[in-house]
Amino acid sequence: MELTVDAINKTFISNGNINQVLKDISFEVDKGQFISLLGPSGCGKTTLLTIIAGFQKPDSGSIIVEGKKVVKAGPDRGFVFQNYALFPWMTVKDNILFPMKQIKMPKAEREERLKVLLEMSQLEGREGLYPHQISGGMKQRTALVRALATKPSVLLMDEPLGALDFQMRQSLQDELEEIWLRDRTTVVMVTHDVDEAVYLSDRVIVMSTNKGQIVEDMNIELDRPRNRKSIEYEKYKNQLTIALTKASPEMTED
Amino acid sequence: MENKASLYKGRSRYSEMKKRDIKERIYRGLVFVGVIGIWYFGAIRIDSPLLLPTPMAIAKALVSSVTDPEILLNLSITMKRVLKGFLYALLAGIPIGYIMGLSELAEKLLGGIIDSVRQVPIMAWVPLTIIWLGIGDGPTLFMIALSGVFPIILNTMQGVRGISKDYYNAARSMGAGPLSIFVNVIIPASIPDVLTGARIAVGTGWMSVV
Repeated sequence: MELTVDAINKTFISNGNINQVLKDISFEVDKGQFISLLGPSGCGKTTLLTIIAGFQKPDSGSIIVEGKKVVKAGPDRGFVFQNYALFPWMTVKDNILFPMKQIKMPKAEREERLKVLLEMSQLEGREGLYPHQISGGMKQRTALVRALATKPSVLLMDEPLGALDFQMRQSLQDELEEIWLRDRTTVVMVTHDVDEAVYLSDRVIVMSTNKGQIVEDMNIELDRPRNRKSIEYEKYKNQLTIALTKASPEMTED
Repeated sequence: MENKASLYKGRSRYSEMKKRDIKERIYRGLVFVGVIGIWYFGAIRIDSPLLLPTPMAIAKALVSSVTDPEILLNLSITMKRVLKGFLYALLAGIPIGYIMGLSELAEKLLGGIIDSVRQVPIMAWVPLTIIWLGIGDGPTLFMIALSGVFPIILNTMQGVRGISKDYYNAARSMGAGPLSIFVNVIIPASIPDVLTGARIAVGTGWMSVV
């Protein structure tokens, strides 16, 4: 098992109120699987992702990546931030090289990998530019290949296309899939977009606002690239939309 | 095609900027002439070089002092002092600023002292520093450095505090250790604020050189 999420609990205390965001969350992800965490805002999906990344600790429970328990952030788990978090003081090239330098990859290998990554993300010729000089789509691709640079066991993505408009989003979904298909890294992606989840994922886990529990765990068995107009595609979308409605706060009043 | 379009756009934006630049300069010139004019008519009306000399008299005095070698010599001495005091301020202020920005504990321990010391008017230090350091360059340098050190500390601290948590998380998830985070994230991300502090420090240095 590539990634095991085992009985994760997390509560936040704000203004004296105890708010349980994650309750007993457990699931396992196979090697090479692309899974999405889908849910309304406030369901704790991003919190779970940052716990897997090691950015914060759960109150109880554990995360296991390739047999090793996660205690802190590390290069075995690449992370793509919603706002990219590219270093604005480094060029595209230096941003991508940064993780490889951190793990002390030999220079020749580094340069070789950089070439592959630039080609993969169609950023050749742009590597000397700074993040503020490139478009949103290019920033997104830079962030993606930067996270993949060290060949992590798991790639974590927090609404990676959330900051982009609809058309850009669809074309980047294709690019994302293309890049992912190259080495089929195990992926956990957080999204609130049903269509994005069905289009990209092998499996979708729906989380609810009510104490952050899993309300649906569905495999998407469709060939890639997926046809958005097919009947099966629509069927998956409908099922997930229903699950998402159930997961929203209005429906879970107690 | 795309290149041509963006080039054209770039050029038109450039000419627009130039136009705005010229307009701004004209306005600035008009304001200058206006102020001088009011001053001139005011001086004529009051008709007393002691209360309000005319702009022409001031301009003459300016020319004669700029060409006076003694004044120029003193100016260079003053500049050297400000520069030296400013360097001391940087040397002390930047490390303190970083430490306070990075450690909540240090901020709590030092914050109170710094905030109270910095309220003391700079002139109030004069007698004390003369007793401490004697007459000569010592007190002047001390006061230039002292007045400059606070803006440097505060801005550096603010700069470090303001660094997005995402940058730290990103660096950690890419395998960076504390030293690498300091060199590759904290320093470059805070440099603009450090420079702002330094700029203010040069200004306060000039003011406390007297």
